[in-house]
Order: sequence, then C-alpha cells, then structure tokens
Amino acid sequence: MKKSLRRLAPLCIMVSLLTYGCVQPKSGQDTASQAPATVAKVGDKVLKGKVVGRSNKARTISIKVGKGAKSKTVMVKFDDRTKGLDFAVKGHAAIINCEKRVKDLYALSIKPKLAKLPAGVSEIKPAELKAMLDDRKDVVLIDSRPAKRYQASHLPGAISIPVDKAKEMASLLPPDKDRQLIFYCGGPT
Amino acid sequence: MSTKSAGLAKKLGYTNIRVLLAGEPGWAKAGYPTYAGREFISKGNIVLIDLRDADKDRTGRIPRSVSIPASSLKDMMSEIPLKAPVVLYSDREKEAARAWRLLRQEGFKKVSLVPGGIEGWVNSGGTLEQGPVVTEIRWQRKPGKGEVSLARFEKAVAGQLRNVAILDVRTREEAAEGKFAKAIHIPLDELSSRLGELPKDKEIFVHCTTGARADMAAQELKKHGYKASFLVAEVECEGTECDIEE
Repeated sequence: MKKSLRRLAPLCIMVSLLTYGCVQPKSGQDTASQAPATVAKVGDKVLKGKVVGRSNKARTISIKVGKGAKSKTVMVKFDDRTKGLDFAVKGHAAIINCEKRVKDLYALSIKPKLAKLPAGVSEIKPAELKAMLDDRKDVVLIDSRPAKRYQASHLPGAISIPVDKAKEMASLLPPDKDRQLIFYCGGPT
Repeated sequence: MSTKSAGLAKKLGYTNIRVLLAGEPGWAKAGYPTYAGREFISKGNIVLIDLRDADKDRTGRIPRSVSIPASSLKDMMSEIPLKAPVVLYSDREKEAARAWRLLRQEGFKKVSLVPGGIEGWVNSGGTLEQGPVVTEIRWQRKPGKGEVSLARFEKAVAGQLRNVAILDVRTREEAAEGKFAKAIHIPLDELSSRLGELPKDKEIFVHCTTGARADMAAQELKKHGYKASFLVAEVECEGTECDIEE
C-alpha cells in the first residue's frame, strides 16, 4: 500500500494542482465535475506460494509463503467477488492479491503461479509424451520430486533425481549430451 | 522443481530438454497409469493387490499381496480403504491398466502399478511367496505429520487426558446440529480474530468433518505459538452424540 501511495502521490499532487493550483479554472466552471484520475484497485498484499488448504464451507484458503525454515502459512478469506478461485487448488502454487478488511485478509484475485521454462527448453503435454513412450522413442524421463513421492507413483521408466540431489545429476544423466531429457515434478510449481 | 532441474541440465550442456509441466498429477489425470518403486512395493504402508486368478496367486505372489481377481474388483471395491495407497499387479499389462483406471475413477487418489507386473518384479530380482490365498485387507492408516491419532482424540473426548482442549472449527450451522460436549467451537473463518479464547498452556486437538479445515486451523494456531494437532476422520454430530470414523 505504501508503495502504491508513493507512486500515486505525484499524481494526486498533479491532480490537485490542476484543480486548485496554478491553473485557474475558468470562472463559472464547476471544478468538482473534474473527476481526479481513477486508478485500478491495488491490493494491500500479494502472497505467492503453495496452496496448502482450501475450505469452501469456511471460505478460506491457506497458502504457504516464504522459503524453508522461514516459511509460514497464511489464511486468506474469499467471497463472491474473488476472481480466479479455481486457481486455488491444494498443492498448486498460486499468487493471491489480497486486501485487508478490518482484521482479515480477503483474496481479490487468484492467479496460477506459472513455472518459467529456461530458454531453449520447451513444454511437453502428457498425450505427446505418452505417444513417444508407446513408440519406444529414446527418452530419459526424470522425476524431480522427493524420492518418497517417486516411490509411491511415477511415470513409466522414469528415473529419480530429486532437486536436493541435483549435485549428483551430472553422474546420473547419460553421457551423451544430445539425448532427449524430459523432466517432470508434482505439477506446475 | 522440474524447471529448476531442467535449468541445471542445460548448464551441464544438454541440448535436448523438455519439461512435462502437467507433472505426475497431470499424467495420471489424463488416464495414463503410474508405477510404484521397489521399496514402496516391499515396505510401504500399502494395499498390494494381485489381479490374477486365485490359482496363480497360490503358486507364487509378491509378498504381502492380497488376491482380488480383476473380474471381481468392482464388487470388492468397498473392501479397500479409500485412503490407502493401492498398488496393483497382474500378468497382463492391459488388465492392470484397466484396474488402475477403475480405482482412480472410484475416487482412489493413490494408485500405482508394479512395473512390468509379476514378470517385471521377478526379473528385477523380487522374491515370491506361496501358500493359501489371502483375501483379507489389513491396512491401518498411520497418522501423518501434525495429526492427532484417533485413539488420543477419543481419550480427550472422554475427558481422560489432562491439559488438552478440543477445538471444533466447523461452521455455526454444522455446530448447531450437534457438537462434542467438551469442545470449544470457533468456525475456521473466525479463528484469527478469536485466538484469545483458546488456552496457550494446553494442547489443542482440532476437528472438523474430515480433517481439511482442522489442518488449516492447526497450522494457524501453531503459527501463533499454540500446541495444536488435527484429527483426520469423518465426524458427524447430533446433539452431543458424535460419530467418528477413520
């Protein structure tokens, strides 16, 4: 909020200058009719992280923000005006723009937090990957999730290289640098 | 995570990298089977199902498996605990894949297959056991992180535990139907502003109707310095009579 106020301050000064300052309105003109520039509503807080819970009965979302030991869960309420509620899915990363009302945070809008692909790396959809595997195409499929998740349920023929074992990646990947590598994890995070 | 790993592989000089952004959940949602790891099959807290005919099961099966022939899987579905991770195997890949899809459609969230079925298991060095067919499923859910066990919760309800408070975070409407006599009722959406009503010197057991809201509430309480755990179970109340089911 402070930030946006600072950003808005010059605008307000300008508007007031225009209205009351050096530029004298022509006599007889009603100054009140000159509406100040309206600015799209900016929330008080933007929360980014993984949705760890959502209750439609309590109209509340829990989102885990921050990294590692510093992470904490924040409860945000939603109402009929909240946009993009479908993006608040347990286990998926989201960006929630909220507004403080009295004591509670309310979600104004929810957007999915999309993963950024490194340059030169393209996305593959499940159907295309399925066809490649069925055709026995030469691919190395890598599961980046924790080993426990890999053990419980992984894609056919995938090998497990959890993110925390990334240092060993060089020794676990095939020596041929032109081999087709396909990475996956627990969804868009 | 996968994009991070892809970035690392790129740094290592790999030229041909792609990412399945839909991830394992997207793959399974598309109806394509997933597979279990060896350790999970031999040691995990799972329901391992042999889909072949009973006579095949008798002569050699993966240890710990129960026999539910594919033809009777639909009728036996209600015997399998819905929360259990289920691992299936057969000697026919198509049959296993069909069973995998059937269970997923019925609401089982954790279903996977033994890679290569019984043959794949043997070829990768897995042992087999013989003997009378086992059909009884004995699966017990282990309380996860931050959960209170059903046994301890029930003791608290009966007033047999000291220094414990029970918190009910269901809606006002739900609580009006009935609640535990000993419970403090604060709807989840009012919790943040009513923390002062809860004792800091007691352990707090949180419940709702399934565990989802209780989990959220327990996280919130812990953040504010309370000792809290949540119950994962179906709770239904009428008056002061409550039914709790795992």
